[in-house]
Amino acid sequence: MFKNYFKITWRNLMKNKGFTAINIAGLAVGMASAALILFWVQNEISYDRFHDKEDRLYTMYNRSRFDGKLWCWNTTPEPMWKSLKHDYPQVDQATRARDAGFLFTVGEKRLNIQGNFVDNDFLTMFSFPLMKGDAKTALTVMKNIVLTESTAKRLFGNDDAMGKTIKIDSVDYFTVTGVMKDLPNNTRFKFDYLIPWQYYEKTDNGGKESTNWGNNNVQTYVTLKPGVTEDFFNSRVKNITRSHSDIKDIDVFVHPAKKWRLYSKFEEGKQVGGKIETVTLFSVIAGFILLIACINFMNLSTARSEKRAKEVGIRKVVGAGKASLIAQFMGESILISFISGAIALLIVELSISGFDTLTQKQLFIPFGDASFWLLAVGFILFTGLLAGSYPALYLSSFAPVKVLKGTFKAANATFSPRKILVVTQFTFAIVLIISTIIVKEQLDYAQNRETGYAKNNLVYTVMTGDMGKNYNLIRNELLTSGAATAVSKTSAPITEGWSDTWDFSWDGKHEGEKIDFNVFNTDGNFTKTMGLKIVDGRDIDVTKYPSDSTAIMLNEAAVKVMGFKHPVGQIVRSSNGKLTVVGVVKDFILQSPYEPVKQMVIQGPSTWFNVIHFKLNDKYSTAQSLKLAENVFKKYNPEYPFESHFVDEAYGKKFQDEQRMGTLASLFAGLTIFISCLGLFGLATYMAQNRIKEIGVRKVLGASVMRVTTMLSKDFLKLVAISFVVSVPVAWYLMSQWLQKYPYRVEISVWVFVIAGILTTLISILTVSSQAVKAALTNPVKSLRSE
Amino acid sequence: MIKITNLEKFYRTEEVETIALNKLSMHVDTGEFVAIMGPSGCGKSTLLNILGMLDDPDEGSYVFNDIEVAHFNERKRADLRKHNIGFVFQSFNLIDELTVFENVELPLIYTGVSASERVKRVEEVLDKMQIMHRRNHYPQQLSGGQQQRVAIARAVVNKPKLILADEPTGNLDSSNGNDVMELLTDLNEQGTTIIMVTHSEHDARYSHRIIRLLDGQTVMENIMV
Repeated sequence: MFKNYFKITWRNLMKNKGFTAINIAGLAVGMASAALILFWVQNEISYDRFHDKEDRLYTMYNRSRFDGKLWCWNTTPEPMWKSLKHDYPQVDQATRARDAGFLFTVGEKRLNIQGNFVDNDFLTMFSFPLMKGDAKTALTVMKNIVLTESTAKRLFGNDDAMGKTIKIDSVDYFTVTGVMKDLPNNTRFKFDYLIPWQYYEKTDNGGKESTNWGNNNVQTYVTLKPGVTEDFFNSRVKNITRSHSDIKDIDVFVHPAKKWRLYSKFEEGKQVGGKIETVTLFSVIAGFILLIACINFMNLSTARSEKRAKEVGIRKVVGAGKASLIAQFMGESILISFISGAIALLIVELSISGFDTLTQKQLFIPFGDASFWLLAVGFILFTGLLAGSYPALYLSSFAPVKVLKGTFKAANATFSPRKILVVTQFTFAIVLIISTIIVKEQLDYAQNRETGYAKNNLVYTVMTGDMGKNYNLIRNELLTSGAATAVSKTSAPITEGWSDTWDFSWDGKHEGEKIDFNVFNTDGNFTKTMGLKIVDGRDIDVTKYPSDSTAIMLNEAAVKVMGFKHPVGQIVRSSNGKLTVVGVVKDFILQSPYEPVKQMVIQGPSTWFNVIHFKLNDKYSTAQSLKLAENVFKKYNPEYPFESHFVDEAYGKKFQDEQRMGTLASLFAGLTIFISCLGLFGLATYMAQNRIKEIGVRKVLGASVMRVTTMLSKDFLKLVAISFVVSVPVAWYLMSQWLQKYPYRVEISVWVFVIAGILTTLISILTVSSQAVKAALTNPVKSLRSE
Repeated sequence: MIKITNLEKFYRTEEVETIALNKLSMHVDTGEFVAIMGPSGCGKSTLLNILGMLDDPDEGSYVFNDIEVAHFNERKRADLRKHNIGFVFQSFNLIDELTVFENVELPLIYTGVSASERVKRVEEVLDKMQIMHRRNHYPQQLSGGQQQRVAIARAVVNKPKLILADEPTGNLDSSNGNDVMELLTDLNEQGTTIIMVTHSEHDARYSHRIIRLLDGQTVMENIMV
């Protein structure tokens, strides 16, 4: 029986090549899109779920109230680790983790590589298996280092790295005690090597922070002993900071590994989702794209029902039951689904690297994985059943008496399922088009926002080696060589906030009130280098005003928060002593371009520095002045390669997420429109064929080509119009929700909907009218003779 | 074999109710060859569809081989039909995508006959209908007469007790028409009961008995001598 079904399916497919191509193309594109998205979703939900101790693995969180809100964050004080290990019997293992960046020298090779400082437990808490070395002991000695496989290869080529020596920052020599498999693409960790925590304490002024409970600067991870519940441990660990310090307003709690990736957003001290929202949204989109592709199949199959009706009738007459006919049509759709699935796999394989670039992931098809194939077959069967269910029920229900007598005509009711399906497709497509336009508008809006400083030709370099020691020489030579017109040493790049504190008080501040300020340090020339506008007072300048070592500047937001009427000359107190306000700068964007500018204190030179900013001299070309600058840095910091960053590029990265979102939205919208139009084209073709006699009669009676074309296109455009009406409120609601997360956001204007409406109408007219015109141009003599 | 009593069938549209069969009663014995005649719209085809269990009556009784089937559901009717009844239509109704062999094989597939047995029986019946040489052709490649032979082959391949023929010669020229009527007569002589709807007095003469219908009622019965 199956042979017979297969035969007739195959011959049907071959006989109607056009429909077959549309069906398979639509399904294949739909399946490929859904598969790509599902690969992405799978990657997201598998983040850090592969650790053997995953169910006992937690990261430590703080919870405290400031700026009038209850905040949660996962950087913790360094000494928390020690207390967890020694005072809490529930804790099995614990480690701290912090970014490290060193210059590695092996022979002639010099490379700046990023890694992590960790405690010895790290390798046995997380499942990052060592290929060589012993996980239990690899990081026990201060000058031991564990490399990832590819880092080992970069440094030592094909030689065995174990036991080899690496010079670090031209000061210390480390011995390789482990080589680790490269990190998988679904972990929060990003490091090329691991270095024992002891070395961090040594480089960080001999571990002066190792007992400071007031500085939250490391991440702390624990595994709890089997059987210890999260709630129980939370009740025990809540007061850990209180009991070790005079900080009385911080609660501590744990966040389980299974929630790190998807549930990491906290509001008012409560966990309120996070990335899971995007994952859900993408899953829904994947489902819809697949559904839309299946709808094509349903519509084309049922539209062609008159052609299949006779076959159904005959089969019933010679003995086929309804069930066997359903099985036959399901078989057909599953066969088509398998062919489409194979093509989809090819599309995915060809497009996955592009998709990776777009999503910043390394996804791949796990060809060698049996469970992948099992899931793939399941996915194909599901698609086949979804696409085939309605046609199978519809086609198998024909009464043989009617179809064999030739009186059968497919219904053309006002609310036929086919019309509803087309409306579903186009509603989804239009919602995506509107969303795309709004995402792009929001992006433009934020990108065009005044940053408050001059990004152009502004460069920064992170300080390494002798740069700190030779800073004055470097600065002078940058200026005298003509490379730069201004130089400023700062605590962080102007595009990033690396530090914040609520350690400030001033006259008029309410007792017990905690207000968090961004903190930025500069040695001077800050406003000139960055091109900031001073609205009151002056820039910090110790060469002119020696007392400026304790000077600060405020931004306008800080003046407002502090309530100063005349800010210049005011005293602000911190744990470092009394600071005097010497100037106020106009607000500029330090962090998110979507949020209001936060209050900020710019401190003078008696602080710490990480970065040198300089404004390139526009007397020369950018390349020339950068080359001059490079020579200066090479001269005074010869051990290290010169690495610089353009501030405008760094600033541009703030928009990456939204740009990606915009690109993905337009991709999804494009695919949906493509698949929907493919279906519409199929339906139009079918309808033109079906009404060829009617068209002939109308033309004989005097209808013009234009009139006939309009008549044929009108029915479809009506459906598109209904879809538009349905999609407007849906899109409006969804996008206002999306925009809610941006305090600095665009208003949704009517034009967005008008543009989307016109665009969809034009695309639909193009799709439908070609077939309508073709039908209208047919010589009526031909179409009427064929009767 | 067949006994119907007071059979009624109505067709309703929104405003009009048409009576297709009006308290019709008749019987057909095993081995008979009966022709049903009458003008268009007299209910011939409706009757044939009900006899063939493709349609069910609104009122009345239909006893087939001593079983009351008037109110059988679709599944039961299909089951009874595929083992007992073969159909021959005016417009042949072959499946275009299947070859001659495959079309004839179809009923055997649905009655669950094994593949080897199917080949044997299809070849046997194609041989008998003298279209063996066309076994791998598709319906469009055959003449009308040949297509109707294939349709008859398909109707008899399952060795049904009853063949229902709905104007089997309506689309054929007289020579091919006569061939088809000869075939049906042969089948009848071998024991198959045949009920045939026809407009053609010529064809009706091949039967044993003619039932004439008008407005859904029997108006006359002629016994052929």
